[in-house]
Amino acid sequence: MLKPILLVEDNPNDLELTLIALSKSQLANQVIIVRDGAEALDYLHRRGDYASRPAGNPAVVLLDLKLPKVDGLEVLREIRSTDGLKPLPVVMLTSSKEEQDLVRSYELGVNAYVVKPVDFTEFVRAIADLGIFWAVLNEPPPGSQRYIKPSK
Amino acid sequence: MTQAVTAPVLDLSTCDKEPIRTPGSIQPHGFLLTLAPDLTVLQASANLGDWSGVPANAAIGRPLADAIGEEAARRLAPELAADLGQRPFYVGTVTTGNDRHFDVLAHQWDGVINAEFEAVDRAEPADFRHLYPLIGDFLHKVNDSSSIESLAALACQHVRSVTGFGRVLVYRFDADGHGHVMAEARDERYHSYMGQHFPASDIPVQARELYKLSRIRLIQDATYTPAPLVPPLNPVTGKPNDLSFAALRSVSPVHLQYMRNMNTLASMSVSLMVRGELWGLISCHNEGPTPVAFEKRTACEQLGQILALCIESREDAADLQFRLEVRRTMVSMLAGLTQGSDFIENLSSVFPDLLRFARASGVAIMVDDRILTYGDTPEQDDILALVNWLTLHDHGDVFHTDKLSALYPPAERMIRNASGLLAMPISRIHKHYLLWFRPEWVHTIEWAGNPHSKAPAPGAPTQLSPRTSFAAWRETIHGTSLPWHGGEIEMALEFRTALLGIALERAEQMAELAEELGRANKELEAFSYSVSHDLRAPLRHIVGFADLLLESAGSEDAQQRQRFLKNIKDAARLAGKLVDDLLSFSQMGRASLRPTTVDMNDLVAACLDKLALETRGRNIEWDIGPLPTICADPTFLHLAMFNLLSNAVKFTGQRDPAVIRVVAEDHPMETVFHVADNGAGFNMEYVHKLFGVFQRLHRMEDFQGTGIGLANVRRIVERHNGRVWAHAVQGEGATFSFALPKQHPQH
Repeated sequence: MLKPILLVEDNPNDLELTLIALSKSQLANQVIIVRDGAEALDYLHRRGDYASRPAGNPAVVLLDLKLPKVDGLEVLREIRSTDGLKPLPVVMLTSSKEEQDLVRSYELGVNAYVVKPVDFTEFVRAIADLGIFWAVLNEPPPGSQRYIKPSK
Repeated sequence: MTQAVTAPVLDLSTCDKEPIRTPGSIQPHGFLLTLAPDLTVLQASANLGDWSGVPANAAIGRPLADAIGEEAARRLAPELAADLGQRPFYVGTVTTGNDRHFDVLAHQWDGVINAEFEAVDRAEPADFRHLYPLIGDFLHKVNDSSSIESLAALACQHVRSVTGFGRVLVYRFDADGHGHVMAEARDERYHSYMGQHFPASDIPVQARELYKLSRIRLIQDATYTPAPLVPPLNPVTGKPNDLSFAALRSVSPVHLQYMRNMNTLASMSVSLMVRGELWGLISCHNEGPTPVAFEKRTACEQLGQILALCIESREDAADLQFRLEVRRTMVSMLAGLTQGSDFIENLSSVFPDLLRFARASGVAIMVDDRILTYGDTPEQDDILALVNWLTLHDHGDVFHTDKLSALYPPAERMIRNASGLLAMPISRIHKHYLLWFRPEWVHTIEWAGNPHSKAPAPGAPTQLSPRTSFAAWRETIHGTSLPWHGGEIEMALEFRTALLGIALERAEQMAELAEELGRANKELEAFSYSVSHDLRAPLRHIVGFADLLLESAGSEDAQQRQRFLKNIKDAARLAGKLVDDLLSFSQMGRASLRPTTVDMNDLVAACLDKLALETRGRNIEWDIGPLPTICADPTFLHLAMFNLLSNAVKFTGQRDPAVIRVVAEDHPMETVFHVADNGAGFNMEYVHKLFGVFQRLHRMEDFQGTGIGLANVRRIVERHNGRVWAHAVQGEGATFSFALPKQHPQH
């Protein structure tokens, strides 16, 4: 029984690399992809294009820090200030090593902060670890969506 | 006959309240009649009988002729019927029925005509001719640019030669009302008062007021017996007559005693009015009674007026000169102050000027609790306490004293170098003070009698004796400094205003600088951020896809391999463009603008040429212009316009046809340009991010770009002191606008 991962990523290259990494860990099928902060919030709030999706939160949000329109920090802030979304695990995924981004993220209550490694092997390992930890090992808060692993 | 006068019992403390304008009597060297408009006698002085042979009581209610004789009355009637002023006016010399001669002065006051008859021993009218050589001689000498002192001495000599008084002196009043004898002419038998001081209390307040109104005053014999008016009350007003302007007005008994104590039986004083204030007096004394005829008094009064005018012009000139000097010092100081960046350091760099400016011996600048001093000043702790006291007792913009210890007792121990203080706050908010100190100026004043013991000596003969001694009495003054000049105080205020102005300007500059620094910092942060983030991303992609490519080497998925290669190429191109954009953005902040005349039609045409490659194969309707010629840096402006046009081309990618319009609006202060397209537009919710560095409102694959283009546009426009804004409707198009001021940019 696996839980879905919400991946918020605008950069197509990053998206492709991330999906490749997740597929290497057999997790790609559990990924819901949104392309910017606004879309992520629409998904989480079940509104707009996502108004008719079933209720329940993903197991984890893999959130790019730098996004068009609403950036990662703003998405995080809204998650942490919205009843029903507050306990949702959020992992900040970013290219930035800027300390202020790290500090702001933790201030806003991020669960983990991961700098995307430049080396692809490390990148794959990092993404795989993240997926396995949050989507498999971690016991999500009540109310998270439960998915049956689709047969290969 | 003369009635006995009961002198009112006076004690000295009531000097200020004495009714000197309404004494009810006159000096008896003439007589006074008050007349109705039809010249009926309303009142007569009791000595009328002595002079004209008609008893006062017999004249009351009778025509003027009954009191002075037919001929004299006929002679005066037309003069008295004319509109008389309120100042005594010489109406002629008459001979009364009993063959005595009188100069007649008349004035209208208190509801009646006051006719004063002064006895003379000639039948002819007063002769003013010797007035002219006197004044002519004085005026002649005035031109020899002599000092006020020597002019006053000259006036003394002239007055003495005209009147025959034994001693004539000029004294001026100081700020406290004490008189100081500055010039003197005397018979050698008379002792000198030169240089001595007379206490202010010698001349009560109401006497000073009267000196201002009535400019000359003769007391011809201090031993006289006053002649009261009959009846005693003015029938028109029902009150004692106001004799303010009457030449014969009787004198206060206290003053007569004062004169007798001084061994002076006759006195005359001429008021010196400078700038409407009683500046001083020409004061004449004689041991014996001294009559001074009307025309001679007039000459002396004229002389007094000329002397006063001379004093006024000399003082004005000296004052102006003084102020000019102080201002000169101030201006040079201010010039020094605007140089450096540290205001306090600047102030301390002009310390010597600050001293000179206020003729001070010490100066202190207090900023918060830091005190900088120069010259001879009190100890830091004392200055701190003093400023605290000043702060507590709000003294307005400037505080000054030449006797600090009298106001602030702790200053007793600072008397040596801080008897005088000029202090002012130089900030409206903080405890910042500028203080000037003047040292103690020990000096002696020679009083004509001890002013501190005015009460009569024990066993003094009469309680009416105001001063029993006029022997020189020396007093040493401690704890005071040289007084502050009015010009110094005014200039200090001006200086303060200038300082506040400088401080304010500096604050504004600082704010501006801070704002600029803030923006520069933000940009710098954005720089390092983009290096760490935006540049790392394409590099990571290159590495990632290259790794994948290596991994899949030998696999037959050619399509996937192609895509990886394309991704690598895109990422590398993006990284290169990012580096270029970063460079150009950083250049934009540094390079100086070279504004010149730019024809915007040409500039836009050049941009379109450059865009040709990108727009090839696209169906774009260009709607350009007419555009004005403006003043701007052509290179920078070209870049800005190119960015906007290229943006428009990019965001109309899915339109067929794409419509891109460039229009200009002319406003009084600025020229506004709009670049409008029918492209994708953007959500106005995020418009605040639009011009930020490395901000994108669209996904990478939708619209390629590094996120620097619009930041560049803003930077260029703002460096031209212009502003930039945008408006869009999502899915329908966007309009980017910028306004450039019509003046030359200053940067």
